[in-house]
Amino acid sequence: MKGLAPLFLGIFGTFAFSWVGLTVLPNWQIGHLNPQSDEEGTDIYPQPQSGMFERGARVYAANGCIYCHSQQVRADYAADDIERGWGNRRSAPRDYIFERPVFLGKMRMGQDIANIGARAPAEQASPAPGGGAPPAASPSGGTSPAALSAPQGAAPVAASPAAKQSPSPSPATQAASPAPAGSPATASSPAPAAAASPVTSPGSSPPAGAPPPGPKTGLASPSPAAAANATPGGTTTVSSGAQSAGPPWPIQTIGEPPMYSAAWQHVHLYSPRSINFDSNMPAYRFLYKKRRIADARSADALKLTGSDAPPEGWEVIPSYDAKCLVAYLMALNQSHPLKEAKSAGGAPPAAGSPAAAPSPPAAGSPAPAK
Amino acid sequence: MNATGIPLKEPSVSAAAGATEQLERAYIDASTRVPVLMFYTSAMAWLILGTLLAGFVSFKLHAPDLLSNISFLTWGRMRPAHMNVMVYGWASMAGIGTAIWLMARLCRTVLRYPLLLVAAAGFWNLGVLLGVCGIVLGDSTGYQWLEFPSYAAIILFVAYTLVASWAVLMFRYRRGEQIYITQWYLLGAFLWFPWLYAAGQLMLFVVPVQGVLQSAVGWWYANNLLFLWFGAIALGTAYYMIPKVIGRPVYSYHLATIGFWSYALFSSWTGMQRLVDGPFPAWMITASIAAMILTMIPVATVGLNHHMTMQGYFPLMRYSPTLRFTVFGAMSYTVFSVVGLLISLRSVARYVDFTQASIAYSHLGLYAFFTMTIFGAMYYIVPRLIGREWRYASLIKLHFWASAYGIGLMTLMLLAGGFLQGADMENPTLSFSETVETVLPYLRGRSLAGILLTVSHFIFAYHFGLMLLGLGRTSTVPTFLNPVEAEEASGGH
Repeated sequence: MKGLAPLFLGIFGTFAFSWVGLTVLPNWQIGHLNPQSDEEGTDIYPQPQSGMFERGARVYAANGCIYCHSQQVRADYAADDIERGWGNRRSAPRDYIFERPVFLGKMRMGQDIANIGARAPAEQASPAPGGGAPPAASPSGGTSPAALSAPQGAAPVAASPAAKQSPSPSPATQAASPAPAGSPATASSPAPAAAASPVTSPGSSPPAGAPPPGPKTGLASPSPAAAANATPGGTTTVSSGAQSAGPPWPIQTIGEPPMYSAAWQHVHLYSPRSINFDSNMPAYRFLYKKRRIADARSADALKLTGSDAPPEGWEVIPSYDAKCLVAYLMALNQSHPLKEAKSAGGAPPAAGSPAAAPSPPAAGSPAPAK
Repeated sequence: MNATGIPLKEPSVSAAAGATEQLERAYIDASTRVPVLMFYTSAMAWLILGTLLAGFVSFKLHAPDLLSNISFLTWGRMRPAHMNVMVYGWASMAGIGTAIWLMARLCRTVLRYPLLLVAAAGFWNLGVLLGVCGIVLGDSTGYQWLEFPSYAAIILFVAYTLVASWAVLMFRYRRGEQIYITQWYLLGAFLWFPWLYAAGQLMLFVVPVQGVLQSAVGWWYANNLLFLWFGAIALGTAYYMIPKVIGRPVYSYHLATIGFWSYALFSSWTGMQRLVDGPFPAWMITASIAAMILTMIPVATVGLNHHMTMQGYFPLMRYSPTLRFTVFGAMSYTVFSVVGLLISLRSVARYVDFTQASIAYSHLGLYAFFTMTIFGAMYYIVPRLIGREWRYASLIKLHFWASAYGIGLMTLMLLAGGFLQGADMENPTLSFSETVETVLPYLRGRSLAGILLTVSHFIFAYHFGLMLLGLGRTSTVPTFLNPVEAEEASGGH
């Protein structure tokens, strides 16, 4: 080859081509997304997150959680993520617009945790920011999800406490979200929180879930599972599903805090194998402090059992970083419906119910079967 | 062909080279001594550190409680530390060292502005050191392949700018009209890297893009780093070393041109296939998969070109360490590309995405292809800088076989483990823990492969240390892997 000019131009040109094509164009296409809201401008999702969330994300980055945990649910036609109970719909670009860094992840030596916050029992989820919940990692935020869900006008708002957990338009959506409690799925859930959910919850869902109030809810129907629950026999469908699908996450030990509650997350971070003997996760004890109990046991102290329990007169308490990390985890929740992320069987619930029935595992997955 | 029938040439002297040319080369080599050795020595130190970290990371992955209670030894910090030490410490520094030497040789002029390079090596080391300390202390940015905190990234960028400006300056002093193939690749690498690094840093940290695009930019950066930086240096090196050692011109200049431009055009469009089925517009991922398929064009042309150049000279690999490593690297380029294509096809990615298979892919690229080629180059270059020959043929052989078996075993283990893990994950009747248990035996196998690689690197470091201390052989004949046969061969000639 002779002459430098063509060489330089070519080197520059090929690179610029790739840069424009793979970063500039996508940025133009999906780089300026806004949160979605309904016609009245309420029910905004996603929302900016709290300071604790941000700091928790930094702890997550610092300790390399991303090298084992992904945070993306693939569509049901592409993979079995939804069947595994990792979410009720595929992840969409809009889910991540307030996240920096974004931890999509490339490896699953651990579970996908895009929706780990949504799995928390209802009373745990309300303090943490739920799906569309506002910047409330602080316990005081509990009021806002309710405030948000109220104006939706959807019937089921008051149907169960779970309405607080994520301001979703119908209980059907709730059911498909992997929250073990506060949804019709609780029938098969062993979590103590199940008690918190009124028995009326499953019963109330068919009327509410059947006719979607607007196009938004229709599109939003997150998965066949939602429809399955909306059928009159919803509860039974759920329990049969629970049998066919293996428990998507570790089997819970007796005496532990409710699964996926904040307290559980702390115990799990401190001693993963005390919760699931087969876990391959390293312990993150350096995020916790062991100290002598001064006057009374701290409210934050971990409820540890067995060999992990501190000696008499001592307690293990989370550092601020650990609290932020857990606040971050508790806020990971993509169960809020998105217009653009229909699941494959995403027909409106009413029409979709018969067709959706054959795929019950997703419905079963919310229940951490014992 | 009978191995002993091939005339063995003294590699540094091509048949036509006259005494003046030989002297000129010696001058040029001598002028590169300080900067190249600085880069090489630092690279070796990082290689050893990275290897130790790698072993630690590998064992911790199947023994999670191993030293997990100390914050800076936790797996999630050791892993990026290992990766960044290898990528920016070992591979980049060894690559730059090689590229400097090749540039001086191919511009046929003594190295100008050595101080630029010395300063660059210093800054580079400082940047990597700060970056790794930052990661270990919990300052990682959380973007894969760009974990270095900004204070380290800036220093690296300064160091890099020095190297690139040196390359451009050096190019202006070149003699002769012809620009050899290797120089295209090197010039490409030198110019692509700063743009790439700057684009990545700007779009992630200075004016960050929104949401998932950060991941897109991250993988665009990582893949282009692999192809346009490491890949380009390794291919350029192979284009120099193979013809040089066997004393025969490259088979086809036209093939080389096609190979280079198709490589630049298509490989730079890959990256998004790593995000297959993720929350992105489908066209991005499809474009990258298509680009992956099109990279078969450079693979075929480059592979064919090297093969035809080597045709009839393969038995020389019995003797020349450089040739053995370089040909291994060049062949791995094909394997690396084919595996990369396979795991990015949607039907396969469905299973192997999110498994160890992607680690296998990275190791194929960075180790089997790049590192092995650079090892080969170092076996060629270091004696010319020091004026001594490698001391022990046996150590070179051990190094080669431990590396070759180590990386082969590691790739197989990770690929097999990845495919099985992926198949399990796609079977929702299995609990997640069971899918992890499936892969654990393969991770233990990987640790075994890691031990082999550790042995190989320590051997090489020891040998390199001997050379640095001037304990190499004084001889006019390079160290052949099978010296007795080699002597017979050249004696017979």
